Amino acid sequence: MDAVERANLERQRRWTKDQKIGEGTYAVVYRGRELATGRKVAIKKIKVGQFKDGLDMSAIREVKFLRELKHQNVIELLDVFSSKKNLNLVLEFLDTDLELVIKDRSLVFLPADIKSWMAMTFRGLEFCHRNFILHRDLKPNNLLIASDGQLKIADFGLARDFADPGYKMTCQVITRWYRPAELLWGCRYYSTAVDIWSVGCIFAELMLRTPYLPGETDMDQLKTIFRALGTPTEEDWPGHTKLPDYVPVGQFPKTPLRDLFTAASADCLNLLSKCLIYDPKRRISAKDALNHPYFFALPYPSHPSKLPKPAKKESGIPLEEVDGNTDMSGPGPGVKANPPNKLKRKNSDDLGGRPVARRLDFTK
Amino acid sequence: MAQRNSWLRGTTIRKSGPSTSASTRTSTPQLPSTSMSIFAGGVKDPSGRTVEYIDMNEKCPVCDSDAYLKPGLRLLVSSCYHKLCNGCVEVLYATGSEVCPTKGCNVINRRLSYTPQTFEDLTVEKEVAIRRRLAKEFNKRREDFPDLRSYNDYLEEVEEIAFNLINDIDVAETEARIARYHQENAELIELNKKREQEYQRYLQEQEEMERQERELRAQELRRIETEEREEREKGRQAIIDKLETSDKDAARLVAKSRMETQRRASARAASSSSASFNQSNARLLRTRATQSAVVPDVPHVPLQDNYYAYDDMFQMRETYHDPVSEAVRRDREGIMRAGGYRVDQAWERALRFAVAGLDTAPLSGMPAPPPEPMAVDSEGPADAVMVSA
Repeated sequence: MDAVERANLERQRRWTKDQKIGEGTYAVVYRGRELATGRKVAIKKIKVGQFKDGLDMSAIREVKFLRELKHQNVIELLDVFSSKKNLNLVLEFLDTDLELVIKDRSLVFLPADIKSWMAMTFRGLEFCHRNFILHRDLKPNNLLIASDGQLKIADFGLARDFADPGYKMTCQVITRWYRPAELLWGCRYYSTAVDIWSVGCIFAELMLRTPYLPGETDMDQLKTIFRALGTPTEEDWPGHTKLPDYVPVGQFPKTPLRDLFTAASADCLNLLSKCLIYDPKRRISAKDALNHPYFFALPYPSHPSKLPKPAKKESGIPLEEVDGNTDMSGPGPGVKANPPNKLKRKNSDDLGGRPVARRLDFTK
Repeated sequence: MAQRNSWLRGTTIRKSGPSTSASTRTSTPQLPSTSMSIFAGGVKDPSGRTVEYIDMNEKCPVCDSDAYLKPGLRLLVSSCYHKLCNGCVEVLYATGSEVCPTKGCNVINRRLSYTPQTFEDLTVEKEVAIRRRLAKEFNKRREDFPDLRSYNDYLEEVEEIAFNLINDIDVAETEARIARYHQENAELIELNKKREQEYQRYLQEQEEMERQERELRAQELRRIETEEREEREKGRQAIIDKLETSDKDAARLVAKSRMETQRRASARAASSSSASFNQSNARLLRTRATQSAVVPDVPHVPLQDNYYAYDDMFQMRETYHDPVSEAVRRDREGIMRAGGYRVDQAWERALRFAVAGLDTAPLSGMPAPPPEPMAVDSEGPADAVMVSA
């Protein structure tokens, strides 16, 4: 046994696997414990053996970024070790996610709760952006919630660091409903603003309790966006007609946000509108968002421990994060990092014939 | 002795509301009052009513008459906390302001400064009045202070002021203190008043909602009950009809219809349990409201980690001499502009990476360190990476 193997074994001994709590396309998740402290963890076993082309891209991305990031509002990767031919990621154990919370109709959200979740999301995102990482797959079910109510950004399977000037990035990222117009039009040079758009959509979803911009196809997504926010003009968004996949999708008038969000405060709508600005250069940054008057106005954000949570028996982490969640339907000319086919998004409405991750069921 | 037991004989009178009407005072024999003034004031209980304290044995210190001799007698309390009967007040203050008739007290009173007595002990009366007055001004909350310590200091100060006023210690100086406090915190006082009102309104709304829900539920129950009764009637009728017409075994028919009823009852129970879902919302909101008193919400703090982005170690410039990104910046086809890619983010990243390790002490105890691969310019760390244009 050489030194590396010995070190690996030593790491492996620090954790125990208790029971399987879910399975995705390329990983199995177990509930486990840290032997020394008894602390609950989630162990994600990545199946290596069955893929010819080696380790899955999103697993590599996840390890690469989570190893570096340590923040209250980002999921913590505690350890990585290998067993037999598998790679194991030891992650913080989190009770539930924001999607389950939004969907649970028996929960009532106060304006202060939404403020608190938004503040935590922006804090986590600001930390990623400060460390030059784009998350590129923000959506409610990637925002996990710990037992103390803290919200944590998870699933770094599509994350990447900022591109060097002139390097192309793929535009086939971010779950469609949360994808900004520049990516839908095939933009290859983008920045932190793409994540902010997703947060804006999540913000709206928290208030509406239903997805804000649910497009059925990429084209329909653009239409849905413009129907809600109006078709951008050259003045709104200079240069957007030059984007690679630009196609005009028709003219829609701009309707005031107030019409849909009748109960929201003025500050709240102001921040929402700044997250949903078409021009990525004018879209608010995570840091500026955290300093927005909305967060300082009364009511104060709810203390995390008081935030509503689904009832215990229903709580199961849908570790959706075990499978990549991007829609790869568009060919995307010259995608540099073309993730393998199995990353295809499983969306309840477009299940047609693709390999689909099983819906994880943690209710034992 | 009489003093100690006077609470036994003391009668309290509940008035119907803030308007003091004499007709409700049925418990004491009395003549219709001849006085034209209505003595309002006194301490109200939470429902907005004043409970007046009346001791049948007590005498007016000036005219020496008591309730036995003069049935309409009420002893009123002045702002200097001395008693006087209503008759004497009318007479003494007929012309306006006058010095308090109690010996040694030089306070000038008017008729309106006499209020009905609420508590037997006048020091309590005084303390309550003072504390009510202070509570209006000193309404800061825990959230208004950065830490528990300063909040406790504030509470201590309020208590000291209250103590001084109650026991007449340095009254002038204490009043000045209150005025100063009021001046300094006028805005916050107003804000807290509003908050308090909002909270009250919120609780009222909650109560209203619950009341409506209770009504709805009661209606639902009544409806179900009548339905059930009708059904039972119908069932009984059906059995009789069947027994009349069919030639089957009577016992089996009865058993069958019984089973049917049971099945229907269980279906009803299932449907009513889903109706109870709505009521939980109001309760939930209410528990949230009470919870917020336990774990207070704290004001927003934008960043909660120890944010440090090496801002002090470099200064970003407008632009740099950077041939690599030249094409991106010029952007001839205009494809970069709309996408929101920012070259300055790449520059900032390069700069921050360059300066991040600068003040890390070199490892000690290592074999001779290899020569520095990158020479740091004397001009400053920023220029180590990029030469400014």
